[in-house]
Amino acid sequence: MSSDEHKLLTSLHVQYIQNLGASKADLTYHLTAHLRMNAIYWGLVALCVMNHKDALDKDEMIEYIMTCWDEEAGGFGAHPGHDAHIHSTLSAIQVLTIHDALDRVDIPRVTDYILSLQQPSGVFAGDSFGEVDTRFLYIAVNALSLLGQLDRLDKDKTVTYIRQCKNFDGGFGNVAGAESHAGQVFVCTAALAILDRLDVVDIPTLGWWLAERQLPSGGLNGRPEKLEDVCYSFWVLSSMSILNKLTWIDSEKLTKFILSAQDPEGGGIADRPGDMVDVFHTIFGVAGLSLTGYPGLDDIDPVYCMPASVIEKKGLRKGWKALPRRTA
Amino acid sequence: MPVAQSRAHLLSQQPQCPKIDYMHGVKRSRESREAREAKKQREKSRLTAYLALSDDVLARKANREWSKDAFDLTSRLLSMNPEFYTVWNYRRNILINGIFPSSSPIEINDILSDDLSMTTTALKAHPKVYWLWNHRRWCLENVPDGGDDADPLAWKKRNWERELYVVERMLDVDSRNFHAWNYRRYVLSSMPVKRPEATELAYTTKKIESNFSNFSAWHQRTKVLTSLWDSGKVDRTSSLRQEFDLVQNAMYTDPNDQSVWLYHRWLIGSGEDKQRIEHEIQVIQELLDEQPDSKWCMESLVHYKQLLLRNHSSSLASGQADSLTQQCLYLLTQLEEIDPARRQRYQDLAADVNISTPAQTV
Ligand SMILES: [Zn+2]
Repeated sequence: MSSDEHKLLTSLHVQYIQNLGASKADLTYHLTAHLRMNAIYWGLVALCVMNHKDALDKDEMIEYIMTCWDEEAGGFGAHPGHDAHIHSTLSAIQVLTIHDALDRVDIPRVTDYILSLQQPSGVFAGDSFGEVDTRFLYIAVNALSLLGQLDRLDKDKTVTYIRQCKNFDGGFGNVAGAESHAGQVFVCTAALAILDRLDVVDIPTLGWWLAERQLPSGGLNGRPEKLEDVCYSFWVLSSMSILNKLTWIDSEKLTKFILSAQDPEGGGIADRPGDMVDVFHTIFGVAGLSLTGYPGLDDIDPVYCMPASVIEKKGLRKGWKALPRRTA
Repeated sequence: MPVAQSRAHLLSQQPQCPKIDYMHGVKRSRESREAREAKKQREKSRLTAYLALSDDVLARKANREWSKDAFDLTSRLLSMNPEFYTVWNYRRNILINGIFPSSSPIEINDILSDDLSMTTTALKAHPKVYWLWNHRRWCLENVPDGGDDADPLAWKKRNWERELYVVERMLDVDSRNFHAWNYRRYVLSSMPVKRPEATELAYTTKKIESNFSNFSAWHQRTKVLTSLWDSGKVDRTSSLRQEFDLVQNAMYTDPNDQSVWLYHRWLIGSGEDKQRIEHEIQVIQELLDEQPDSKWCMESLVHYKQLLLRNHSSSLASGQADSLTQQCLYLLTQLEEIDPARRQRYQDLAADVNISTPAQTV
């Protein structure tokens, strides 16, 4: 193993992200079209955190997003011709917010679309066919907040549902009754942070549960007795920074684990050392590194998973705490 | 079906994320430029076919075509790409707008049963694809009344019973599958004839006994027991006694298993029962004497001793509060040593113990 693997290979990762759109002759590229809008957001935020926001063409990105608008539903699909979904709608809003281009969106319409997905219980569905999940609840809260439309949301009803998903271990599940899972802990904690309702969280218990996600390898898992995975670096760390408990794990060991999952030849970060990389693990690896104060990175806002400067400018910053930025 | 197989092969290079469907556990291999080119050539005809089919289906969707032809095309496309959510939506809209209005109830039941079988096959290859589980829900929720003159719910019963069977097989393959457990809870709560909760309790016992580390099963047990106690179907006091025996057995089998300690903490809860806490402290202390490095013994002792201090200080013997405090502080120092990754947490807990202890004890 070269000593390079103990450093973040920024320029390789930037190239890797730039090349993602250049693989149109690959079948896999087309088979993942349903994730395209999310992938653009993941790639852009990773670039922002690595201080290379301009590595992808802004105007091209905005035009692509606008071709994904689903006029019938009033939301964004994942790709032109795909149905609107709340997840691709949030990604579109996030990218447009980062590029200061929200004026391209019909805000009242997209707000109606998002609000139309709230169920009587308070949870949100992902689309008109109605799978419900606290992920979609978070997505709705995040999007409405970015759009400046949070006042139109029934906040009490929303918080009531999150409360129903809370378990004895302090964590949250994806629906009422479900097992705690780090991904769902992130979405519930971040939604509560946006709604200024962190009083719902049992902080000592959840902080303990989150701290116990770190394994001897330094990596974090998503549930007890499961394997570590780079993407949990973000789900767990973002929750810990929202609760101001980031010091409860060994961030140095985690940093080494994330760096060891880089592809030192082609760029990108994988779920675990030696595995195939993808843009999903690349952003969440880089975001985790940013929260632990890795030198040379830009701050990420753990509540919105967007550049902290963008959220600050909108006046939406909450009281989270990352570790101090180290100098190289 | 050859198309489904080739797709399964392709997706085997792309397993699913617990959160979002993405790359997981696929070993990185360095392909030569030639190998990559050769693969591209091999894929070329499949790519052309996929794109042509995809364009055709999306064009028909845009034209609001609700024909049987279009329905069959969605089957083909979804067997190539089960994550194409737009096409699942289109498929359901074809059924709702084009096919169901001219079908008899028995025909509708047959169509939905076919879709359930089709997605069972797909689930075996892609057990974590949300869209497959979603489509099954929709099918089940749309099964019409009928099936038997004497029992108008016969079709519904048959389909939901079979669904429970499918989800149990999924949990046999992966006993921690998050989707499968959630889906199981959904099926149990939606079946036209509910199963007694005692049966579900027995199911979690079976899962736990085959693997104490299965926290998903312990979690399910917390939910089922709460409901059984609240409804009065099971006596809480005697049931709790049995649970403490079960968890003690597990604890002694593998003291490093987090699942067991989490469940133990649930049983103690907010710690109203002083006698029980004292008894458990004694049991755990004995285990710690045998296993002097057991982090979970120490962690739990600190927590339960603090519960005594917090909830039962007025009924503690004189000097006992003081010694409990000292014991907590000592255990926390030991924890700092054996579990340095979480050192700061132990230091924060020690600071809390000091603050919450009345000045007289110092
Ligand atoms: Zn992952």
